[in-house]
Amino acid sequence: MNSLDPRVIRLPKTGDPQNIQVKTPLDQFGTFEVFVQAKEGKAFQHEGAVHAPNLEMAYVLAKETFTRRFTCSSLYVVDTRNVHVSLLTEGEQNAYDSIDPVSDQSKEKRSFEIYHLLKRGKQHVHVGSVHASSPQEAMSIAKQQFNNGRIFNIWVVATNDIRFTSPEEKELWLTLPEKKFRDASDYKGGDKLQSFLERRSLESKV
Amino acid sequence: MYGGGNTFEGIKTESLASEDPTLLAAFEARIDRGEKIEPADWMPELYRKQLIRMIEQHAHSEIIGALPEGTWITRAPGFKRKLALMAKVQDEVGHAQLLYSAAETLGKSREQMIQDLITGKSKYSNIFNYPTFTWADCCFISWLVDAGAIVNQLANAKGSYGPYCRALDRICAEESFHLKYGHHCVIYLATGTQKQRDMFQEAINRWWAPMMHFFGPADKISAHTEVLMRWKVKMSTNDDTRNQFLDMYVPKIWELGFTIPDINLKKNSETGKWDYTEPDWEEFKRVINGDGPCNKERLEVRRIAEERGRWVREALKTSKTAYVMPLA
Repeated sequence: MNSLDPRVIRLPKTGDPQNIQVKTPLDQFGTFEVFVQAKEGKAFQHEGAVHAPNLEMAYVLAKETFTRRFTCSSLYVVDTRNVHVSLLTEGEQNAYDSIDPVSDQSKEKRSFEIYHLLKRGKQHVHVGSVHASSPQEAMSIAKQQFNNGRIFNIWVVATNDIRFTSPEEKELWLTLPEKKFRDASDYKGGDKLQSFLERRSLESKV
Repeated sequence: MYGGGNTFEGIKTESLASEDPTLLAAFEARIDRGEKIEPADWMPELYRKQLIRMIEQHAHSEIIGALPEGTWITRAPGFKRKLALMAKVQDEVGHAQLLYSAAETLGKSREQMIQDLITGKSKYSNIFNYPTFTWADCCFISWLVDAGAIVNQLANAKGSYGPYCRALDRICAEESFHLKYGHHCVIYLATGTQKQRDMFQEAINRWWAPMMHFFGPADKISAHTEVLMRWKVKMSTNDDTRNQFLDMYVPKIWELGFTIPDINLKKNSETGKWDYTEPDWEEFKRVINGDGPCNKERLEVRRIAEERGRWVREALKTSKTAYVMPLA
């Protein structure tokens, strides 16, 4: 290939440019939802999704994609398929209005995490956890415990399905303050510019 | 980073006639109230189609835009510039990940988007089809192309589609570093030796035409976008965005003692807008349709990366997974 960049010229020839292989489904793997806690004591908030071959890789990619900047104290990921979603409502409607009471004594109780969408266009925020036998029951218990104000959407995730940050892994974000070169505040050119402008205006007067 | 390009070519509003009028009215009322549309909401097909097209082009622009700058990492002057440029290029690729996810919530798979990029079916920002000859070209991109992208992105962040707005909020916050870094690089060239000053002046001379193209064709020749403005898909016209960029950055370029290669460029005191020589839209069309200095190289580099990564993706594939759309 003809290029200004010697590294591009050195690229090995691979595949046939005239006959590009069709990408098959799942070539880019499944998706995982990412939740971030910006500061100790603050609620976890949904930030977006990553594609990954498994939960562990999803965790690593989530760290790269969502926590390179700004403060972060913790992060977790869950397979999108393990997020149970209520109806999305608008106006005066509350998403909990469509949740009927469910009582399920048949199975062992486990822990579920509950998330609310408080304003359309914003992120889902963690509000607490409940013990239930199923996601449906978890939602009906959440209705009794957390149904205050207008909620547009509810998510429920079994705690066991989440890949959390371990206490040792929290050190991942300790080096953030050392990476000032990724902050706008590290690029102050004002003084250099000012003295340049003064020099120029003196020169033009001479 | 991203420019207006020819994103909205060929809009046929007739397709609206087949939409349910009650649902359509509720959809438009929601946008008028300033509320966001979320993936689970009803939306007209035209809205879905144009948003996919716009967000996908934006994502491709981040990926391809990382190439002309990425090539300068090893040659950036000094350790600190190398660190910064690496961080910036990593940001751009990260932004593509956020944007691909936002487009996926509208129903187009990531596999299909990548396929459409490497086969040349999808477009990306035209400006990345031009070569970076010197370090000053790289500085021009970091400062002024990013500045143009931020003007676009800040406007689009006030749009109507929730997932796109949330991605843009994060992108804009991260890009404030790019802009300051780029300006810092240019201040160093401008206050340096005559040779350094000449180098940046030559970069301006090379990049000014693509920079004017960056915001897309003039309003008088661009496709009908009224419905997209009403739906807050497109937030301002190409000419208005171009004018806003000129307003913010021409004085900063002049302040550094550089000239801009357009004798007609001046602020019109009557209209309050900038007058300039009409950009060569024939060249713009030619380049965006594949006949630019670097189109072939950019797509070929992306295709080779795709080929070389194939065995890794195949090795990691598991039968336990199934695709579901990202949630928000």
